Amino acid sequence: MHDQTLTPGVYMAEFSSAAELNSAVRVLSGHGYTLLETYSPVPLTPGIPRRRSRLPIVVFIAGLLGGAASYAIQWYANVYSYPLDIGGRPAHAVPAFLIATFEGTVLCASLAAFVGLFVVARLTRPWNPVFEIDGFERATIDRYWLAVNPADKLTVPDPTPGDLRRLSPLRIVRLETQS
Amino acid sequence: MHDHHDDDLTRRTFLKALGASVALAGLDGCTRIPAEKILPFVDEPAEFTPGVPVHYATSMMLDGYATGLVVEANDGRPTKIEGNPDHPASLGAAGILEQASLLQLYDPDRAKFVRSGTSASTWSDFAHAMAPAALRQRVGAQGAGLALLLEPTSSPLVGDTLASLQRLYPEMRVHYYAPLVPAAASAAFTEVAVIPQYDVHAADVILSVGADFLASGPFHLRYAREFADRRRAPLAGMNRLYVAETGFTVTGATADHRLRCRPREIEPFLESILATLAAASASSSDGWALAVASDLRAHSGASLVIAGDHLSPRAHALVAAINMALGNTGHTVWYVQSPLLGAGQPSVTLPPLVAAMRSGAVDTLVCIGGNPSYMTPRAVGFSEIMRRVPNSVYVGLHENETARDARWFVPAAHYLESWGDARAYDGTYSIVQPLVQPLHHGKSAVEVLLAMTGAPAGHSLAMLRSTAARIGVASDDAGWSTALRQGFVAGTASSRIPATPRPELLARAVPATNSAAGSVDVVFMPGACVHDGSFANNGWLQELPDPVTKLTWDNAALIGPGTARRLGLDTGDPLLLRHASETLTIPALIVPGHPNDVATLHFGYGRTGAEGVAKGVGTNVYQFWPTMDEFVISGVSAERAPGVARTDFAITQTHWTMDGRDQARSDTLGNYRASQRNEKTPQRTPLTIYDPQRRLESPIQWAMTIDLGTCIGCSACVVACQSENNIPVVGRDDVAKSREMHWLRIDRYLEGNEDNPQVVTQPMLCQHCENAPCEYVCPVGATVHSPDGLNEMVYNRCVGTRFCSNNCPYKVRRFNWFDYNDEISETERMARNPDVTVRGRGVMEKCTFCVQRIREAEISAGTNGRTFRGTDVTTACQQSCPTNAITFGSLTEPDSAVMRRREESRLYDVLAELGTEPRVRYLARIRNPNPDLESG
Amino acid sequence: MSVSRAPAAATKSESFPLLKGNEGDAALTDHLLASLWSTPRAWWLLFALSSLGTLLLLATVTYTVVRGIGTWGNNIPVAWAFGITNFVWWIGIGHAGTFISAFLLLLNQRWRGSINRVAEAMTIFALVNAGLFPVLHLGRPWFFYWLIPYPATMNVWPNFKSALPWDVAAVSTYFTVSLLFWYLGLVPDLASARDRAPTRTRRLIYGIFAMGWRGSGFQWQRYRIAYVLLAGLATPLVISVHSVVSLDFSITQLPGWHSTIFPPYFVVGAIYSGLAMVLILLIPLRRALNLYDVITRKHLDAIAKLMLTMGLILTYSYVMETFMAWYSANTAERYTYLVSRPFGPYAVTYWIMTLLNVVSPQLFWMRRLRTNTVALFLISGGILVGMWMERFIIIVTSLNRDFLTSSWHTYFPTWVDWGLLAGSVGFFGFLFLLFVRWVPSVAISEVKELRQQQAPARLAGDHDA
Repeated sequence: MHDQTLTPGVYMAEFSSAAELNSAVRVLSGHGYTLLETYSPVPLTPGIPRRRSRLPIVVFIAGLLGGAASYAIQWYANVYSYPLDIGGRPAHAVPAFLIATFEGTVLCASLAAFVGLFVVARLTRPWNPVFEIDGFERATIDRYWLAVNPADKLTVPDPTPGDLRRLSPLRIVRLETQS
Repeated sequence: MHDHHDDDLTRRTFLKALGASVALAGLDGCTRIPAEKILPFVDEPAEFTPGVPVHYATSMMLDGYATGLVVEANDGRPTKIEGNPDHPASLGAAGILEQASLLQLYDPDRAKFVRSGTSASTWSDFAHAMAPAALRQRVGAQGAGLALLLEPTSSPLVGDTLASLQRLYPEMRVHYYAPLVPAAASAAFTEVAVIPQYDVHAADVILSVGADFLASGPFHLRYAREFADRRRAPLAGMNRLYVAETGFTVTGATADHRLRCRPREIEPFLESILATLAAASASSSDGWALAVASDLRAHSGASLVIAGDHLSPRAHALVAAINMALGNTGHTVWYVQSPLLGAGQPSVTLPPLVAAMRSGAVDTLVCIGGNPSYMTPRAVGFSEIMRRVPNSVYVGLHENETARDARWFVPAAHYLESWGDARAYDGTYSIVQPLVQPLHHGKSAVEVLLAMTGAPAGHSLAMLRSTAARIGVASDDAGWSTALRQGFVAGTASSRIPATPRPELLARAVPATNSAAGSVDVVFMPGACVHDGSFANNGWLQELPDPVTKLTWDNAALIGPGTARRLGLDTGDPLLLRHASETLTIPALIVPGHPNDVATLHFGYGRTGAEGVAKGVGTNVYQFWPTMDEFVISGVSAERAPGVARTDFAITQTHWTMDGRDQARSDTLGNYRASQRNEKTPQRTPLTIYDPQRRLESPIQWAMTIDLGTCIGCSACVVACQSENNIPVVGRDDVAKSREMHWLRIDRYLEGNEDNPQVVTQPMLCQHCENAPCEYVCPVGATVHSPDGLNEMVYNRCVGTRFCSNNCPYKVRRFNWFDYNDEISETERMARNPDVTVRGRGVMEKCTFCVQRIREAEISAGTNGRTFRGTDVTTACQQSCPTNAITFGSLTEPDSAVMRRREESRLYDVLAELGTEPRVRYLARIRNPNPDLESG
Repeated sequence: MSVSRAPAAATKSESFPLLKGNEGDAALTDHLLASLWSTPRAWWLLFALSSLGTLLLLATVTYTVVRGIGTWGNNIPVAWAFGITNFVWWIGIGHAGTFISAFLLLLNQRWRGSINRVAEAMTIFALVNAGLFPVLHLGRPWFFYWLIPYPATMNVWPNFKSALPWDVAAVSTYFTVSLLFWYLGLVPDLASARDRAPTRTRRLIYGIFAMGWRGSGFQWQRYRIAYVLLAGLATPLVISVHSVVSLDFSITQLPGWHSTIFPPYFVVGAIYSGLAMVLILLIPLRRALNLYDVITRKHLDAIAKLMLTMGLILTYSYVMETFMAWYSANTAERYTYLVSRPFGPYAVTYWIMTLLNVVSPQLFWMRRLRTNTVALFLISGGILVGMWMERFIIIVTSLNRDFLTSSWHTYFPTWVDWGLLAGSVGFFGFLFLLFVRWVPSVAISEVKELRQQQAPARLAGDHDA
């Protein structure tokens, strides 16, 4: 589950350690829960398995474009637009052009990596519904939260709270706020 | 502003229009074509087109003698002074003083107002007070109380004016004074007022005894040319130059053999030469003298011995005798009557005037030009004597030391502002033609004298024409025009006269002056750049490195290394000189090759007048000068001055040797001749991955060849470059920080031992490398290459990273560390060449091969439908060079001078191994030493 | 020894624990955030001092721009001097940051965790200073943008054959990437600061900069990918930037500059001085913020070993360029290296430099000194001075004695030169103090993660060893 698809009715359980959270994830996915998300102050390993990121390929392409653009600019400026007789050197000086080309490559790739992350990880909104849960602020300090969307267990009565309680979290909260 | 008391209506209206246009150009009231008709140089159109420079022929008088000049005027502003190719004293070259006199014209410190006592006055008041009616009351009917003090002059016009004044005041006394015009030469002969003339070209062997005939003196430009013409092709009859001298002069630096001797050794040296020549079998204790004598004798009739102006009459007599013995008289040397007014008459010198003033016989003293209060020995006490004169007048360019002592002050007109005439050293009649009306309403000597005769204003031209007519200029307008256009009258040179050295001088044995141990002799010489001090307020000259010491903005006591060790002095340490009652504290400067136990002092510094530039620069040596006309004193005690801080000289070249490198090459004639036999070694072409021919697509490929063999290091090219290219003066502090802006500098290298080094001078300017290292490091492409092979500098694109300078192996690029052109006065701006950009702060600049001249010639060739050739362009440095050491032209014209010189095997590139492929190439200096002296 | 093996060696010595103490995560977080909420008196003292330095910098910069470069001691032939020396020096210092955070991250050097934040901040502030000098150094600084290719009506472009546009590209890229890298690393800690902020205003401010970070598994996973990518990109930069800077000199013909050894030689020197600066900053900081548990003797020991390595490589470079100058048999080269530098007008600087850069680091062979903060502080300070002198010698002693002996001339700095140098140091301190005050100076989340990995006892179940 993507944490942006938090809907009212999602259950949030708080744990005191990464280990508990990990086992909770394992148990619940054993029960067949798929819409899970974890919140932790440090990266959770193994955490929830996810699909491969497209970020590296984006960065790679951006790098190629940046390099090409840098070389093109230099070629246009010194060879095509206004070639000058400089020190008896040829206007098209490949070795000289390579340095700015390299820098351009790295610059564009880095920008792509940075901006890309903010886009895919939705790091553009300072607010998020989970912030409304009081006590959640410790998720960046020392507490480990699990979000369970009961959507794929729509039976009455909803088994989710029970399943969660069996994991003996510190507490369980039902998310009310709309994302 | 334009007060034209003349009736040439068309010209007046034109001038009005011109005045308006120039006023728009922000030079309000500064452009002043003289009212009278002045005519441009012979091969120029008479019409005047604004924006098109016009060249006028005129003459400048220095120490009484004229040098013919051609002055370029832009929109009525003189902007460049060059030599008059037809004038015998110039032959097309111009010395540093002549060229820099342009800046003197625009000197912002020039006096602007007539002064009476401490209150401002007017010319008419002055004229009225000096008119016969008024003056007779003071000086008596016969003018017994009237005295005139002039600079030495050869001007017939002044002579005639004085004559007419003399008719009014029969008992008036006239005197002439300049510190550096000694009577010694003429005093050596039985005939009155005799001066020697030389044909340097005809001399195979030259011995100069203390004479700097290549770089100073009235005819030095001509002599330098004649000297160089015998060295241009070393294999075809190269001459040989011996110099025996005390100081270190340009001539001494050029010599094949230089004997450094103390002043007292000069006459014995000459005696032994004379003796050797007389004796059938050459025998002399002095090996040097022996070798020189036999060499001279071997070239009897085709040798030449020259005596320095400032030697004793006896030395001159000895030299004359030697020339006679060698049979040179009549061939390489002859004698003429000195054209100076009152030459050879002791009564017209300064001392009798001083006596008369002291005795109170003088009521009115009119002092025109010169600066006696500063330029006389302290012992004379001229200053306070002049203050005691009841009615004193000083006419000068500046409110200087003498002006302070005068009751009346009248601003003088610059020679470019006034009509006049003068004779060259050989007597050739030369005309002084004004290019502008007086900027500050100054008056010429003639105008002042005429005012005293009560003649109407503006009478001077009429007077000049009558004088000229007397000399032999056709009195009709056509004849007058020709004279003006030529700038001189050919065939007016003085005729030769016999001269016999005074026998008593030859006979009298020199009294052996054995002075106290540890004492030194002191020699007084003119400052190489500021002359006697009259040029001290000239920024170009103050910043021009002394050709030998490379010292700027200062004078020093030059001492030899030995003396320095003995006195425990280092360069810059204060030296205390004591002689009789006088003492002088002056920083010492160690000069390799300077004789020991001698100190050379330069006149012209330590000025205290109202001149802003000169003030506080250097030390006033006149104060220490015991007696006029005597330039050597001995028995001077020398020690380190206690409690005086050392001076940090602003010297442009601090490292004097080449440290085993070979940028300035030289060799002996023998080796050179030997090298000719084995076939020429081809110029090494550095490896390149690029097409070496790529640069020849344009029909013209600029190049320069500089012949170190004929370069004497006189620095005329440096001033020419500064004037042509609007190069700023940066001042002492920045020169001391090595920030001088000269695009063309003269490197001076010493080889051999420090006591008697060999000198090589090398003009160093942008080499216009085909593979210019400066170009590829410029981040903004502000320095790039033109199709015709120029290394171009784009000022307004330059951001000032100075990377180009770092990568220039020749370090010829200059940087505007401050806004040097900011503090320039309005008048100095008028000296600017309008064809050359004035550079602002923070940009690089360097030699452009005078690109403005190149493009001008290109365009005019185009407009006139001529095919443009490399020979159409002359660079400023090339034009001013007295010895034609610099040739300029196109690589694509094998018959041009620049290329023909490149066929010599002594051709080389500086730092060729770097593969910069410079377009400036040098010819190694070839020396012609005497084999007999090679060992010693 | 080589660059990559040095840290490996560092981790092998197990004698010092990487982290100490066993306070809980909450306590640890509060400990590391403490400097954000309270200001010790010492801070104000230092801040006032560095503000004075900053004022000095402003004054000298203004004076230079108003009057012209003539206010400096530069001349012809020595057209570059203090200005470029400061530039190269600061750039060099700016290298350790990325080296520690990116390079060591890729090499999986865990110990970088507690010090990379400080190192990166140092890099950025050093680059701010470095960027100032080339611009100020121009004759017409207001036209600095002419080095950047932008469409102009006259079709005037930079000349990309010159090393200076390369500089512009390299330095600006390096600055940007370092900034991104630094900020990315900050995000989780900013979130912690947000969630611990005592007042609403601070909560808001940190909240905005944290950009809604909440540590969801998805964020963490993508974040890690981006972070490693950036590290991978920044690592070649560390090598490239100072190599490019060295080209400013080595593309010329000048004896003393015209040398192919320059790029590696400059890079090593840069990291050398950068590590020295890291220690200069860490040692007092560790004390002031009581970070002994987080920044342990192990860190100091590792950095000292790295510095020793760099010092040895640098020594090799010194010896080699001198040998090559002799071996070339080129008069000018030999003069520069064998006469001008050791015995010329700046000989004193040359020998002091040798003492500080070559001799003093040899003390780090002694383990006792590698962990003695006083010794570390002094030697590092010495190395910083020595590295400045090295740049001065490379630049000035090459220019003041070049091909034609006639153009030889000595250079003397003016008070403006000294003022700019001192001022830039003050400005650097100024920025760093603000950083300590406003941003967590230790990567909190990384430290926490590291502690968990180090203490398996505290992790139930399986985890990757």
